[in-house]
Amino acid sequence: MTDESIMEAVKDGNLQQATLLFERYHKRIFNFLAQMTRDRELAEDLTQNVFLRIIKYRQSYREGSRFMSWIYQVARNVFSDHYQSSKNKITGFIEVEKVSDYMADYNEAEDIDEKEKLLHQCMAKLTEEQRELLVLTRFQHMKYEEVAAIMDTTVANIKVKVHRSILKLKEYYFELERI
Amino acid sequence: MEREKLESLIIDYIDNRLNSTDRRRVEQELVDNAEAYRLYEELKEVIEIMDGASRLEPSEKLKYNFEAMLGEEVKASKKAKTIIFQPMFYRAAAAVALLVLGCGIGFWISEKNEQQQRLLAIENEMKATKLMMMSMLDNSTSASQRMQGVNVALNMNKADDEIVRALVKAMNEDPNSNVRLAALDALSNFSDDAKVRSVLIQSLETQKDPLVQIALIQLMVKMKEKAVIKDLQKMVNDTETMQVVKDEAYSGIMKLS
Repeated sequence: MTDESIMEAVKDGNLQQATLLFERYHKRIFNFLAQMTRDRELAEDLTQNVFLRIIKYRQSYREGSRFMSWIYQVARNVFSDHYQSSKNKITGFIEVEKVSDYMADYNEAEDIDEKEKLLHQCMAKLTEEQRELLVLTRFQHMKYEEVAAIMDTTVANIKVKVHRSILKLKEYYFELERI
Repeated sequence: MEREKLESLIIDYIDNRLNSTDRRRVEQELVDNAEAYRLYEELKEVIEIMDGASRLEPSEKLKYNFEAMLGEEVKASKKAKTIIFQPMFYRAAAAVALLVLGCGIGFWISEKNEQQQRLLAIENEMKATKLMMMSMLDNSTSASQRMQGVNVALNMNKADDEIVRALVKAMNEDPNSNVRLAALDALSNFSDDAKVRSVLIQSLETQKDPLVQIALIQLMVKMKEKAVIKDLQKMVNDTETMQVVKDEAYSGIMKLS
């Protein structure tokens, strides 16, 4: 069963089918939001919110449109709504603790090597847009076409921006590595 | 090769997105250019870490919360289905009620309007009749016109002060006795009115026309107006009173006392 046909069923009132979509997408969405917020707990809350919106606004799902694009669009909206409403962009001292908790998740994980930990630190230095593009294309292995569909822009535009983001990340990474 | 272009080509090369021509170009550059090779090595390292990065596992709480939320939504959607009917029903009922009320009010208003129009028409007609009557009574040259005016008053159900005054004037002062009699006749129609009654009683004292006097006496008897007995007595005793009037007055006294 495709994501789209499941979503159609949900739209038709078979809400229980949403469980299948949750199983397929919750880890991806959670990881996307975790990397964007760098706050594990918040990422779980926002993931929950994404699925709540999917169910509540099921009627707004357009027949024939790709479910993956839609759910990521919802996730992006949930993310930006959260920061717009709380106005607590990750700049203040309060967030530092959360971020270090988040980083601790990686640091405590024994199977993650030092290089990856370093990379995650560098990711935090990127702009929100750069981070988002790398999370989607590299960490979540999405095609440029898919990301272009989510962000409603051209593939060429995505490609240029992704390349710039990679170069920026590489710059931060080798700067830190040298320290 | 331009640096920016080279960087982009190297990334595509690592991602295996280049056609064979571009791939050979990049490979040649990597062989020829040590700086390009270093760039390639660095980019490859970063890209490989990203592509092979581990994922975070969400806690069990997420799944638990999702299921709880879904349960709530399922319940809410079932409730909504039954509730949806009710507001629809109420809305429909309210719409019908409003329609009926609207029609009722509309009907009532138009009915009232119609009634008012009818009343207005009657009032206008009455005014016209009154005007016609007054102008006829005022016609000093034609007794028959005045007579007709009185006849109009005779057909009236109600008289206002103006009409009563005009009729009294005709009864007391009109040179034609037929008009005077007709005016009395018209006034007798309104004898239930206290004002008319007192005017008639007064007229009995001043009236000099024997025909009118007789008619007045008969009317007083009919009205059972005992207050006029004194006046009748006076008429009987008055030497100037005509004998027929005296007789009538006398019979009136008999009947009233």
